[in-house]
Amino acid sequence: MLKRFFPSLTVVLVIAALFLFLPRFYNNQSFLFNMMLYLALAEGLNIIYGFTGYLPFGYVGFFGAGAYGAAIAITLLHISPFLAVIIGGFCAVLTGVILIPLLRLSGAYFAIANLAASQALYQVVANPSLEKITQGPYGIDLSAVYNANAGYYTMLGVLIFAMLLVAYMRNSDFGLSLLAIKEDQVSASLAGVNVVKARSIAWMLSAFVAGLCGAAFGWYTAVFYPSTVFSLDVSVFTIVFVLFGGIATVAGPLIGALLLYSMYNFIGISTPQYFQLFYGLLIIVLVLFLPDGIASILRKGKVYVP
Amino acid sequence: MSHNSKKLLRVEGLVKKFGGFKALNGVNIDVCQEQIVGLAGPNGSGKTTLINVISGVYRPDGGSIEFDGGSIYKFPSHKLVHKGINRTFQVPKPLSALTVWENVRLAAVYGSSEGNPLETIRDALEFVELDNLKDSISAGLTFAQQKLLGLATALATKPKLLLVDEIAAGLSHQELNWIAETLLRIRATGVAMIVVEHHLGFIDSLTSDVVVMNAGANLFRGSIQEAAQHEEVVEVFLGR
Repeated sequence: MLKRFFPSLTVVLVIAALFLFLPRFYNNQSFLFNMMLYLALAEGLNIIYGFTGYLPFGYVGFFGAGAYGAAIAITLLHISPFLAVIIGGFCAVLTGVILIPLLRLSGAYFAIANLAASQALYQVVANPSLEKITQGPYGIDLSAVYNANAGYYTMLGVLIFAMLLVAYMRNSDFGLSLLAIKEDQVSASLAGVNVVKARSIAWMLSAFVAGLCGAAFGWYTAVFYPSTVFSLDVSVFTIVFVLFGGIATVAGPLIGALLLYSMYNFIGISTPQYFQLFYGLLIIVLVLFLPDGIASILRKGKVYVP
Repeated sequence: MSHNSKKLLRVEGLVKKFGGFKALNGVNIDVCQEQIVGLAGPNGSGKTTLINVISGVYRPDGGSIEFDGGSIYKFPSHKLVHKGINRTFQVPKPLSALTVWENVRLAAVYGSSEGNPLETIRDALEFVELDNLKDSISAGLTFAQQKLLGLATALATKPKLLLVDEIAAGLSHQELNWIAETLLRIRATGVAMIVVEHHLGFIDSLTSDVVVMNAGANLFRGSIQEAAQHEEVVEVFLGR
């Protein structure tokens, strides 16, 4: 029973150990933080996209909801940042609950509706009339509670949580039921699966992870604007990482985010124009030749991908 | 009264509309426990629609459906599965990315609360003789094997009523005999069935109780032999 979780849990342990010990040898903590952020976001997106097939282009909406939920909890309610991160996660879940009816749409229609929803949330948060609550377009300042190390290890906790969630789904009957829904909702319900309930749970778990990420990011960054935490780049990066690595596994999104985010940092920051060219080409090649990601190459070589 | 209490399924005046078209226009059908009822009729007479409504794939627009003494009108599929109704499809719909074992496992875990899932999966696969293919990805199965997988998946949810939609279509003569024998073995374990079929010889080998539908309503109920003497039945099948 527990044996089948073994490969997945090994991956979780290796990644956790990596980010626990790397700061001792490598002093660019901000790079490591962002790397963890995208690893966790990739696993969060994997929960909804990888397992149920819904591609949420507005995934950043949950990230922003988490960042603002936590920031408001800290600035207005004076809650400790650590607890505020969890509140941020639940703010994203609340956003997810409001958006549950979108799951009745499918394919591109769902992706577009979700994108629109995230932008609507962005406009609400950035509205100057809400300045007393969200500071409107003027941004949030959390420098009073700034603590880089605490923020770093909170993010590590979020990452471990996200990986454990996916490890559970990769190896459990619940994950199997979601894969069944992805393939054929009628067949899944005739196997006795409550399709609406199962996909709603996956949706909210996915939102929760993005909300925790947004909240941890807000705390670690200390000063941010609506345009930072509702930037579509967050959605696009996360989606590309997941597609590149391979869906519905623990390791796939991790491989994608590790490789591509490192590349972004080495090419993208020094020569951004080449980076965009490279990314564009990469997406084309992926869609044409490797739609199931790096993990599919490993599978062809009969390698089990945890 | 005692006869009524044995009724497992009772459908009365069932209506299903698609836009202005009534695919089912007041259908009545009932099935007793452990009984096999054949369902025949020309193309477009509403046989598959009836199966789709009883199994919750479509929602009805009127009439009543009672199962095991309670109404199941407008129940979603997964609830009907838990109540003890399941079905197979004319064109099998296995979860093709999953293995045979995973397909049946899903049904055993989510479809039935009784018994040990491992035993349920093993029994279902042995029943349809797919146990040697349990680790194959179901997309790679033959058409006939996918039909058997559909049957095994349905059995794994421990149904009291099994709706079998055109299982004979596309199978060889030899496979047909074996399937008929398998359906009779399933009935012997206490499962009632509605068997939709074009192949009247196949129905005849299963039951002497046949319902003939035409234009979304019942036309006749009796044996195949009686049906062959029935003027209207002959007319809808062969034309005037």
